[in-house]
Amino acid sequence: MIETFDIYLHSLAHFAGSPLHLAILFGSVLLGIIFGALPGLTSTLGVALLTSVTYGMDAATAMVCLLSIYVGGTYGGCYSSILINIPGTAASAATALDGYPLALKGQAGRTIGLSTTASAIGTIISMLFLVTVSPIILHFALQFTSFEFFLLAFFGILISGTLTTPDLVIKGWISGFLGLFLAMVGRDRLQFYPRFTFGIPELDSGIEVVPVLIGAFGIPQIIQVLKDRVEVGEMQKLQRIVPEFGTIVRNIPKIIRSALIGVGVGVVPGIGEDIAAWVSYGAAKNTSKNPENFGKGEPTAVLSTEVANNACVGGAIIPLLNLGIPGSPPAAMLLGALMLHGVTPGPMITFEHPTFIIECAAILLLASMAMWIVGMTLARQVVKVLRIPAPLFMPIVGLLCIIGSYALGLDLTNLYLMIPVGIICYFLTEMGYPIAPLVIGVILGPMADENLRRALMVSQGSFWPVFTRPMALGLLLIIVWLVLVQFPAVKAFKDRMVERVSRKLKRHRPGGPPLGEPRGSGPTPKDHRLP
Amino acid sequence: MLEKDKLRKADVFSGAAVFLFGLWVLSQALRMPMKDSWGGVMNVWYVSPALMPLFIGAVIMLLGVLLCRMGLKTVGLDAFKETLGFLVSADMRRILKSDTCVRFYAIAALFLTLVYINLPRIDFFLCAVLFLMVFITMFYFLDDCLLRRFLIFYLAGEAVLLVVFALGFHRSSGEAPSPIPDLLALAFIAAYAFYVRVQLRARPELKRKFRIGLVVSLATPFVIGTVFKYFLMVPLPREGLVAWVLDYLWYLEFL
Repeated sequence: MIETFDIYLHSLAHFAGSPLHLAILFGSVLLGIIFGALPGLTSTLGVALLTSVTYGMDAATAMVCLLSIYVGGTYGGCYSSILINIPGTAASAATALDGYPLALKGQAGRTIGLSTTASAIGTIISMLFLVTVSPIILHFALQFTSFEFFLLAFFGILISGTLTTPDLVIKGWISGFLGLFLAMVGRDRLQFYPRFTFGIPELDSGIEVVPVLIGAFGIPQIIQVLKDRVEVGEMQKLQRIVPEFGTIVRNIPKIIRSALIGVGVGVVPGIGEDIAAWVSYGAAKNTSKNPENFGKGEPTAVLSTEVANNACVGGAIIPLLNLGIPGSPPAAMLLGALMLHGVTPGPMITFEHPTFIIECAAILLLASMAMWIVGMTLARQVVKVLRIPAPLFMPIVGLLCIIGSYALGLDLTNLYLMIPVGIICYFLTEMGYPIAPLVIGVILGPMADENLRRALMVSQGSFWPVFTRPMALGLLLIIVWLVLVQFPAVKAFKDRMVERVSRKLKRHRPGGPPLGEPRGSGPTPKDHRLP
Repeated sequence: MLEKDKLRKADVFSGAAVFLFGLWVLSQALRMPMKDSWGGVMNVWYVSPALMPLFIGAVIMLLGVLLCRMGLKTVGLDAFKETLGFLVSADMRRILKSDTCVRFYAIAALFLTLVYINLPRIDFFLCAVLFLMVFITMFYFLDDCLLRRFLIFYLAGEAVLLVVFALGFHRSSGEAPSPIPDLLALAFIAAYAFYVRVQLRARPELKRKFRIGLVVSLATPFVIGTVFKYFLMVPLPREGLVAWVLDYLWYLEFL
């Protein structure tokens, strides 16, 4: 423990003491805030584009760059949410509900100050979880066999498909399996048999993950923004930014609850910061003494969403580093970047790179501090980027997507794949298919394939070990439940059981609210999805 | 995203497409070695490279059928038949020619021509200038009539480039790459800028936007290209006339 703390302090001193690292840290945070603030650009795209820039850096420096833009991007979305009522990123959509009414009341500076402090606190709490939870997860993960890894990958794809879909769950699963298919392209790693390569030698090594991700997230975004001509409303006046420590101190329990929600949602594979913010908003509203104030300019609502979406950053990194399973779309990009830098996330990370997780935690702390400083001092300058019209910056983003994808492998084949993937992803988005499960499928596909076959090789084709290993059995049961619960008959049965249990609980709790009358009805993520 | 009722109708088609795709995956997987010898190793079913593709294909097929069924159940067979009729109707053709669709065609055409025609054959800087200039002028003026005209002009220019490339005029005879594609691209950029200027003659309010667009489209490639080429040491997809001039200036300064 002391040794870990020592490494942590050493990493902090190393990064904070190096002018180059500090310049990269502040530059990336600022870039992230700009990416987050501009409607149409996301932190995922920011991480994707910056990945190509980090190609020549060592892994730790690259992480300074990428984690900083991730943290900055997640926070930056609140600027446009509060000032123009258009969420800069999906993660800040919940913030707009109360942030904009507060700005209309002439409290834009105060609200941005509150968001900045809350985001920094959320990131710091999630960093604490990263440090403390990682050894526990690694302890269990080291006992995993191939069956567990296969089931974990499969669970990641299914849960991501279930929770991120804006329409039918089945579409989320289709998206995940399409991603799995893309991961099958190329020579398989056990027997080197060419699968779905059509005799094209460039496809033998498989599809490069990062260009596919850039295409999947970047191209649909560009098409959507320019095709639909999103009009930006009048920007509210921004007064002096106040850190709002008083509000923070008065709401410590709410901050802790929101941070726990953020970390919890972040840990679930493929679920992004947007879900964390909505869940936290709902929880804050349901437990508030004045739920009727929500939506009319309630500072605690802004606090809860901003703490949660930034806490999700650290949460998403926990499964990424310990299991090799990204917790959110930007974390999926980070996984691609780590692989480019020769770091393979997973249970072996502490053996191959013993200090890496601690270094990431130190970077998260520094990034949150840099974000707070930049937010407090440069917010008034940064919001000026909101005046840049989308038709001017979107083509530049398109060009960056192209050169970024090419630079990662110096191969035009990456571009030949990126464009069709981008256009197909645009159509999928239009038809209500989520993109995150597709991305998770592309990333976890090789893991699922190799581990299934390896596990069956060891067991000589028998699935029996799944039922004899508690972890594997647990994962299998969760997967089966996840699938079954989508069938109306099973869903109705589950609802009946929940109702029966809550009725029994009510009988044991005199004075509790009558059934069907919650203290406040919070919105669900699907009620408030971005158009 | 589409509206809910339209989504359900679209689900019938996308479900069918997903089913067919799953069927194709399955058919391809069945051609992979299952129990045969591959690379001198006798296969057993559980190590076969076909195992996962078979599973994926089967699940995709099943999900496609379920989605199709759900769509049909919600909209009903009559509404589905109506939709089929709508697909071949004049209304559908009108939608395909609508401003929103033309904007989509324009973006798709820009990306496709950049990646498949220009980048492999023309100097990166010139490709980027052309891409940005056309992209910005098409969308920055917020005028769909102008967008259509610019798109037609651009596609005509790209068609000329395509013919030149198809006839092999861009191939070099010696060691140095041929400058013909770059010179053609330069001419195309100049012609396009002139065409835009002519189109804006009657629209003085857009001239300022054109100037801004021109500056952005000329300056950005040099910033991005220089960062990637000289600071990140990334060779550009194709280095031609402009890259040679920049190389000359860069090494003149720093050697």
